[in-house]
Amino acid sequence: MLQKIKEGIEIRFGLNSLVESKLKGYKIPKGTNIFYTLGIVAMFAYMVQAVTGYFLLMYYVPHTEHAFNSTQIIMNTVPYGWLVRMVHIVASSLMLIVLVLHLISIFIMGSYKKPREITWLAGGLLILVTLAFCLSGYLLPWSQRSYWATTIATNIPTALPVVGDLLANILKGGDSVTGITLNRFFALHVAFLPPIFLIIVGLHVFMVWRIGLSVPPYSNLKGFKANFNFMEEKSWTEYREADYKESYPFFPNFVLKEAFMITVFLAVTFFLISFMPTLFIPEAANTPADPFITPADIKPEWYFLAPYQLLKIIPNKFFGISIQIIFIGIFLFWPFIDSKGDRNILKRPLLLGLFIVMLLIWFVLTVWGRYS
Amino acid sequence: MRYILSVLLIFGLVCSASAGYRELFEREFLSKPWSFDRMEVSACIECHTSDTMSPELQKIPADWKNSWHFQNDISCHDCHGGDHEDASMSMSHQRGFFGSPEYADVPDFCGKCHIGILNNYLESGHGNALKITGTGPNCVTCHGAHNIQKASIDIIYGRRCTQCHSYERAKVIKQALFMTENRMNEIEKDLLRLKEAGVFAEEEKKTLFRTQAEFRTLFHTIDVALVNESTDRFTRSLGALDEKIKDNFKELLFRKRFSTFLMLVFIGMGVLISFLSKTYKD
Amino acid sequence: MHRRGFLRFLLSVFSLTALGSFLYPISRFIAPPLASKFTSKLSIEKDLIPVGGAKEIVLGNTPAIIINVPDKGYVAVSRVCTHLGCLVQYDKKSKRLICPCHAGVFDLEGKVLSGPPPKPLETIPLKVEGGNLLIG
Repeated sequence: MLQKIKEGIEIRFGLNSLVESKLKGYKIPKGTNIFYTLGIVAMFAYMVQAVTGYFLLMYYVPHTEHAFNSTQIIMNTVPYGWLVRMVHIVASSLMLIVLVLHLISIFIMGSYKKPREITWLAGGLLILVTLAFCLSGYLLPWSQRSYWATTIATNIPTALPVVGDLLANILKGGDSVTGITLNRFFALHVAFLPPIFLIIVGLHVFMVWRIGLSVPPYSNLKGFKANFNFMEEKSWTEYREADYKESYPFFPNFVLKEAFMITVFLAVTFFLISFMPTLFIPEAANTPADPFITPADIKPEWYFLAPYQLLKIIPNKFFGISIQIIFIGIFLFWPFIDSKGDRNILKRPLLLGLFIVMLLIWFVLTVWGRYS
Repeated sequence: MRYILSVLLIFGLVCSASAGYRELFEREFLSKPWSFDRMEVSACIECHTSDTMSPELQKIPADWKNSWHFQNDISCHDCHGGDHEDASMSMSHQRGFFGSPEYADVPDFCGKCHIGILNNYLESGHGNALKITGTGPNCVTCHGAHNIQKASIDIIYGRRCTQCHSYERAKVIKQALFMTENRMNEIEKDLLRLKEAGVFAEEEKKTLFRTQAEFRTLFHTIDVALVNESTDRFTRSLGALDEKIKDNFKELLFRKRFSTFLMLVFIGMGVLISFLSKTYKD
Repeated sequence: MHRRGFLRFLLSVFSLTALGSFLYPISRFIAPPLASKFTSKLSIEKDLIPVGGAKEIVLGNTPAIIINVPDKGYVAVSRVCTHLGCLVQYDKKSKRLICPCHAGVFDLEGKVLSGPPPKPLETIPLKVEGGNLLIG
């Protein structure tokens, strides 16, 4: 019976040759570890967000009078509404963590170098789009934290000369955060950003697939458990199929690694939902927005704490914001700036040190912003 | 190298050119309520904390800062009138200022807002004593004038009530209130726990407040029979509230169990997948 | 390869469990809400409430009041004050709804006139049908 179905599919789709060439025939270089799967985990996290988001759309009302109430109805009245909303909240923060780990892994492996510069650029843009998703998303419950954190965030562009005020006004749809802001952030979150994200991610995944996964560069690491031959990637002068000295098939070996990391992601999500459900919902996030009362300790969501703290400590506002813009520029175009050096970061202690220092600064700023 | 230097130069020039943005920054960012503590603007507080005042008047703002009124944003002008933003008009009759009330006028003064309590007080033995003899407890006798705390059963105690009569009567009514007060406090604690667990129980909070307010307003009639009669009614509505809160806790427990189950399923899947992937040679 | 087969079998059991534990909540989530959970209705004879008079009712869990406003007709509002939840009382003389807790004053349609309440009283839909009032 099953055989007949398989034959029927084969006649119509020619699946077998597709599976052979694209899945079983697609090669992954030896030595890749689970960190190589973080990209797919991030993609999965995005899918989870999209699906839970669509279901939330069935009950959420994007109007200042009803937004908070509709989220409470989702949490308390709709059957299993709490599950959908909690997954959406927790997975959004976890997605960012996965993206940061993915970024760190790519940087350490030097996989941004030629010919993968465009992949890195697309990836950098994706992180920015994800942050835009997060910013527009957490206004939607219209809680105290939503309202005031968004007020702070949309005032930051005023630091830019000439275009600053115009930009802030376009974001807010006026002089302050109102129902107009809620509507446009909702449109951004639900309609504008998803296709932008999908187009960029399509480019990113296409480039990864086209060029092939990068060979791990740590071939000369002393004491590394190497029972196979690493291969130094030859320098690229023109496009060619990735040729690995030793490799294994994408399906089922790499797919199983990916599936494993996805279950880890889901296990962590549900661990947080079971045992720390209020981790991402402080009191201010569970109180309806009141434009006349500012809560004592308002802070943006954790991923914006570092830029927020930096802005607070640098007295010249323009300096503060342009440092951040310049940093983003350097980050996006890094492969073009660092195009020469060795891919093995252990041979470049200065770069490794600089990278670790940057990570530490970001971490310290985040914690400082949390407790200041 | 050249490029980096030239970029830095341009950057430095722009930064110094926009140094004037400091004022804009201060206006738009530093002085906004969400960057630092809100600054209080009150002409009343400014004068009454200064050394030109007599010591009794000077300690009023400190007393008020410890009060339940302060926690709920009720300031001087809300009770005493006057313009709290303009020092020259802060004690002007044109802006409704009328200073501190006479002893016998205190109930009407507080009753401007606390209408229900005033009505019950006026019907009571205490209210009648004040009206007829000019002596007797007014609001300040039990609650204080500026350091007013949240109402609780501990306001009724020996030394306070025996100023005019024996403590026996006070004890009887305190006993009548006791069980209900305890229950209300328990429910209040439960609601706090619910809030910490992330539940927005606004309707239950309002029902509790309404029940507490009705019960405590009733006390001001000082009518033990009335309090005992109504205790049944209050016990029933508190019981219903208790049920709702317990349902909320049960729901929270179900959610925790359900998500723990899902977590275990995924952990199991992860383990199986890692075993399975080991069967394929890499 | 027995081990692999066994592992695959176990994995499919777990996956189906996981799938089921998502499909069941989602199907409950999108199912239409039970009517009784969201609405409750009440029917009262019109003549019980003279002009200028009012009747206190309880609709579901909410105490409410129906007022026969002179020149305007019947109106039903929730009695729960939007400040802290005390029940407002109808003052016939001044044609106001007054909250005894902190002197919040509403007009007969629920609009805030003075005092601490931040929002108007919730209005309850009311229909006149023959000799009866349908509330809710």
